[in-house]
Amino acid sequence: MARMKFLCDAERCIECNGCVTACKQENEVPWGVNRRRVVTINDGIVGAEKSISVACMHCSDAPCMAVCPVDCFYKTEDGVVLHDKDLCIGCGYCFYACPFGAPQFPQAGAFGLRGKMDKCTFCAGGPEPDRSEAEFKKYGRNRLSEGKLPACAEMCSTKALLGGDGDVIADIYRDRVVRRGKGSEVWGWGTAYGPGKPGAQPPAQQPARGRS
Amino acid sequence: MRVFLLALAMQFAGAAWAQSEAQQQQQRQAEQPGNNAPVWRDVKAGEKNFTTIKGRETEVLVQPPARFPGQNVTATAGEAWRKFRNGPVTFYGGLLVTVIAVVILGFYFWKGPVKLHDRPSGRLIRRFSTLEQVVHWSAAISFCVLGISGLIMLFGKYLLLPVIGYTLFAWLTALGKNLHNFIAPLFIVSVIAMIFMWLRDNLPKSYDWMWFGKAWAFFARGEHIPSGRFNAGEKAWFWGGVILLSVIVSWSGIILLFPNFDQTRAVMQDAWIWHASAALLYIAISFGHIYMGTIGVEGAYGNMRTGYTDETWAKEHHDLWYKEVKSASRAPAAGAVPAGAPHMKEKT
Amino acid sequence: MIRVLLLVALFGLAACAEREQVADFKKGKYQGKPDTQAWDNAPLAYGSGKWTKGDRASWENQIKTRQLGQNEDVRINQ
Repeated sequence: MARMKFLCDAERCIECNGCVTACKQENEVPWGVNRRRVVTINDGIVGAEKSISVACMHCSDAPCMAVCPVDCFYKTEDGVVLHDKDLCIGCGYCFYACPFGAPQFPQAGAFGLRGKMDKCTFCAGGPEPDRSEAEFKKYGRNRLSEGKLPACAEMCSTKALLGGDGDVIADIYRDRVVRRGKGSEVWGWGTAYGPGKPGAQPPAQQPARGRS
Repeated sequence: MRVFLLALAMQFAGAAWAQSEAQQQQQRQAEQPGNNAPVWRDVKAGEKNFTTIKGRETEVLVQPPARFPGQNVTATAGEAWRKFRNGPVTFYGGLLVTVIAVVILGFYFWKGPVKLHDRPSGRLIRRFSTLEQVVHWSAAISFCVLGISGLIMLFGKYLLLPVIGYTLFAWLTALGKNLHNFIAPLFIVSVIAMIFMWLRDNLPKSYDWMWFGKAWAFFARGEHIPSGRFNAGEKAWFWGGVILLSVIVSWSGIILLFPNFDQTRAVMQDAWIWHASAALLYIAISFGHIYMGTIGVEGAYGNMRTGYTDETWAKEHHDLWYKEVKSASRAPAAGAVPAGAPHMKEKT
Repeated sequence: MIRVLLLVALFGLAACAEREQVADFKKGKYQGKPDTQAWDNAPLAYGSGKWTKGDRASWENQIKTRQLGQNEDVRINQ
């Protein structure tokens, strides 16, 4: 198996915020914390509006993991980036470092004092024993251990949000693109960071493939 | 730090620019359906968009691109900050602190402390008032707590964590972080008090230049250099450390300490860079001050510990101040010498 | 003494570098943080498909079935 990935199809996302609700419901995340959010670009402009659902993208070279002073992050063999809330000190550095603004902090006291960081777990729980009460309270549902995929992706009504093994969802997306003949800009690592070569053009600026 | 003006310009031009990107997208949608390049350019620019989720910078999909000094590639601000923090700040900061510590210890083992030439007279004069002592020690102790907890947060992951393990290290760092947050205000208040208290005695005088020229002779051979209540080294520490570095560290620290002011991540990243760089420099320089105040100069520690100094010590280290006190042109700091003040027993 | 100090400082500095991010599962721990692997659980009685506890390949098969369920093109156009 390759790595677990999310993919959001900007051509399909209708900004229903169902993924946000599903995540909150499935994981019972604390008040004020949103592990997933839908961002709309060009909101209200006919013909230019696009929405994208974003959460932790489970980076292969995760900045949050690199800057954590207590090294509380770890990566599972499925490529899911998880963290241990027992170790977290609430310093907020992962929030500074994350390109997507995924790490969230419940307020733990006056003056905005940060509590333990909370973020999308790809519905894979955390360090506590799988499916245990403690795991659910700290990290939410462990759907991977139940043979399921993240709730947000599985319930997406337009199937804009795909979640799972990068190879498989890329295949699904490719099928879709071939069928509709457009939308080849895949939302993910390459889009966020660029192709990785200094001076190279970002993928979005290349002429569109497919129907033109 | 980053191209500040550019960011500022983007703030103002943001609305108009987004409009044009949106128009481009409308056009593109009609000409080449499915080519969303203008939208992705918007995403990569890291501007504020729209979201129903209320929170800090939730409207920003991906952080705007940034480049810190010494970086030749632009990355998202978070990634650039990560590279700058884990790269130059950690490496050069660590190098600075280590080199200064090794140099000072090496010097101590090589030359030893600066000793008194004459025998202590046994007559004590007041050097620091009780208020000065209280302020100095509250600043000093809070500085040590802040410094040590800060060093643990930056270097502990590499040096301490492999030794003491995750559970203990996380407990220690959490303790350190909370102490860091709650002791910082005490440090700021004591620094402000110190600035007002000692500003007059730290005003530079013409004879201070001599001190820098002859500093080596003083350290190596204990040669005397004329100085007032504070010598030029102490004055440099006052202006550079107590005032300049404290202001940088405190201001950036306040930005980091109160996320409830809703400052953006870019501001906090910059504040962190200033905070860590200034603090590491501050720690390195403080080694010099701590060395001189404890093992480096015979009798120096007792002055601040008890507030009294021996006349011989005053004569040898701060002759101009000694003369002033003796000629009573300046009232000694308040309080009479208690019977048998505890330090500097006469040598036999 | 000085030489020992220098050596300690040198090794200390050398240790202060980012480490590669790997997923290395040893004795129930990922780099010191305890966790259970997803396939090390028995399937639920209802609604979670079928795999053999502890067998990674069978769990991956189950997940793959689930992933392909997201491909509505297949469902619609068949």
